[in-house]
Amino acid sequence: MEYSNLRRQIVFMKKNLFDQGYLDEQFNQLEDLEDESSPNFLEEVVALFFKDSSRLLTNIEQATDKYPQDFYKLDSLVQQLKGSGSSIGALRMKNECSVFKANCNDRNLEGCRRSLQKIKREHATLKQKLESYFQLLRQVGPRDYAVSSRK
Amino acid sequence: MLLSALRMEERKRLMGRERDQFPVGMRVLAVDDDPVCLKVLETLLRRCQYHVTSTNQAITALKLLRENRDMFDLVISDVHMPDMDGFKLLELVGLEMDLPVIMLSVNGETKTVMKGITHGACDYLLKPVRIEELRNIWQHVVRRKFSNRERNNLDFPKECNKLPSVDTEHGPNQPTCGSSDQNGRTSKKRKELHGEEDDEVDDSECQDNDEPSAAKKPRVVWSVELHRKFVAAVNQLGIDKAVPKRILELMNVEKLTRENVASHLQKYRLYLKRLSAVASQQASIVAALGGRDPSFLHMGAFEGLQSYQTFAPSAVLPSFNPHGLLSRTSGAAFGLQELAPSNTIQTATGNVTISHCLEENQQTNITQGLTVTLGQSQLQQNWIHPENNGLSDVFSGSALTNTLSGTLHRVPSSSLPPQELLECKQTNVSMPPSIRIPSASSGLLERTLGVSTNLGDSSISQQGALPIDGGFSADRLPLHSSFDGPIATKLDTTLATSQREIGQQGKFSVNMLVCPSDNLTLAKNAKTGASSSGSTIMLPLDTARHSDYLQFGGASNSVQKIDGQKQDHIQNSNIIWSSMPSSELPTDNQTHITQNQRLDSGSFNHNIGAHLADQTNASASILPQMKFDTRTSEDKLKQKNTYDLGNSKLQGGFNSSSCNFDGLLNSIIKVEKDDLPFLDNELGCDLFPLGACI
Repeated sequence: MEYSNLRRQIVFMKKNLFDQGYLDEQFNQLEDLEDESSPNFLEEVVALFFKDSSRLLTNIEQATDKYPQDFYKLDSLVQQLKGSGSSIGALRMKNECSVFKANCNDRNLEGCRRSLQKIKREHATLKQKLESYFQLLRQVGPRDYAVSSRK
Repeated sequence: MLLSALRMEERKRLMGRERDQFPVGMRVLAVDDDPVCLKVLETLLRRCQYHVTSTNQAITALKLLRENRDMFDLVISDVHMPDMDGFKLLELVGLEMDLPVIMLSVNGETKTVMKGITHGACDYLLKPVRIEELRNIWQHVVRRKFSNRERNNLDFPKECNKLPSVDTEHGPNQPTCGSSDQNGRTSKKRKELHGEEDDEVDDSECQDNDEPSAAKKPRVVWSVELHRKFVAAVNQLGIDKAVPKRILELMNVEKLTRENVASHLQKYRLYLKRLSAVASQQASIVAALGGRDPSFLHMGAFEGLQSYQTFAPSAVLPSFNPHGLLSRTSGAAFGLQELAPSNTIQTATGNVTISHCLEENQQTNITQGLTVTLGQSQLQQNWIHPENNGLSDVFSGSALTNTLSGTLHRVPSSSLPPQELLECKQTNVSMPPSIRIPSASSGLLERTLGVSTNLGDSSISQQGALPIDGGFSADRLPLHSSFDGPIATKLDTTLATSQREIGQQGKFSVNMLVCPSDNLTLAKNAKTGASSSGSTIMLPLDTARHSDYLQFGGASNSVQKIDGQKQDHIQNSNIIWSSMPSSELPTDNQTHITQNQRLDSGSFNHNIGAHLADQTNASASILPQMKFDTRTSEDKLKQKNTYDLGNSKLQGGFNSSSCNFDGLLNSIIKVEKDDLPFLDNELGCDLFPLGACI
């Protein structure tokens, strides 16, 4: 019973994440890739993402603060972040990166700073939510869950 | 080395089993600097049952590919990488290894996509990549093999037929067989270079496979000769009045049935339609571009525009006649003068795109048409600026690309009557994609189309000056003419491809004569800016002669020009659009070629569309092997027509695959959605001189 409660919670949480736009379909795709040979694929990828994106965010911050501004480089960094975010389905982050890129294009430093702050917030929020999500998953046994959700 | 060779052998054996079940086990090399994306990509590919090798460094990828040319079937690479630009990798892979390359990026802007296609990518996928898209990427491998075979006039249709693995006896060996076969046979050069022993084994296997097919109904292979006759017949009758029965009579070929002709005609019509669609699209683009930068329009610097080999004997001068038009370059490449009149030539050279509309053969016209921008480099730079965000580096100096299209100014005279346009189209614009390939040993190159692009500093080897990789051998030329086709080519697209970063020296000018003068196909390319310099020459052909010109001269005015450097070589790969009478052609070509060679100080890069290199073997395929492989970029470009010659499709086709000629056919076939698998295309376009290569 507790198991099914947990499962319900998981489903609910996941649905929320989708409804609130934190995640998109790509996340499901990744989940579907889990199988016997890579049972924790999703979690691994997400962990990898957060590790890599933290590094990227630091670089972005440095580039934003640097003077004179190198928008080209900044744009390139944000693009990287956008790419990896979209690979795991981090929708909000991806969108915010697009805004950031637009600001870079316009050479709008203020806009870039704002975008940076937003992205950092999104990043932190998503990280926290996904951590809870995976915690729950671990409790039910990720393998079962993954298998059941496989097409 | 020995170890790695042994290792490779073993791997091959291990993978042999897998390869037999192609596309299962297809060997993919994935390159992406982002670890998250790479991991996801790798997993997705494994899920598709491909055999995946991944690396996060482009340099490592290149090294792997160079060491073991035969180890991979396909490369997937990200566009933005820190150690090397994805486009650069794309070019190199296409040039050196002739492997299909798929680009990945989170950036889906049309201009970037266009750039990818013009640089020769088979496809351009947006991140996040979906597994459904990856399930289909094996098509690019097959397609390439297919066209390579055709290019070499191999009787691959039989073998290709087997691809669907109908033949259990030989099993799905075919595809893999094809690949190794391809390696061994299609590109002699490669064989020499790499001395793949196992090719022989595979070859024999493949040969055996031919047996069963003998029992099948003989197919009609639309060889270049045949196609030429066909086109001649159609032209004679007039496109509206051309009915299969009459065409058949005119062609007077034994064993050809009315049905064969009918189906071929259908495809040909579709092709023409596409050309015009593209042309008009390009025209609009040009128009759009025109407004943007007026000076641009005047760019005409053709630095290397050599290509225009008109049939007039005057060979393209190595030094282009400036006609006052060309800035920098020593001679404006205007071989155009000779060009048959009324050809609008849009040459997008690396530096300059010359849109030249040759009207009625007049020199004056030509000059008028050509606008040479002195400030080429400047223009380019200017041009590039706005575009640039990252494009600039690519365009080193070859603002061309962008401009190319832009500059195409519509030649005043460009208004060709539709019929003419049609005719123009008919001229074969054969863009010999073959941009050089180092071993241009084959004399083929010489002739025609050599799109010689010099990438000055590009790492791409400087291949011998002969651009003509495509081998446009004089003999082949006739082919082109036979096609008569419209290949109006949206050469510019190809040009775009050729635009490559042009190294300091790189002059890249591909002069393509594009028939439809109206359309500024180039414009389109220019717009995308993706195109590297390439001179596209649009020639509205009003006369048959002009069709000859399809010379594609890639005068590569390398980027260098931006600094006002003198262009070292204006290598123009002249792509001689087949319309030239073959007899004339050789001489012209020869001259031209020598010129090119002279010009080419040695580094000749081919660039045209990167994949012109495929063509290297030109000999048979010389004819603009423009592969209209629109398919590749189809989805990306959202082109309805697979044939989107003018657009990226062309470029894609052009670039991506070695401008195969069959590209045209392929696209035709594709369009028609033949039931036959692509491979089964018996149109055998080996060399359709569809100049459409762009």
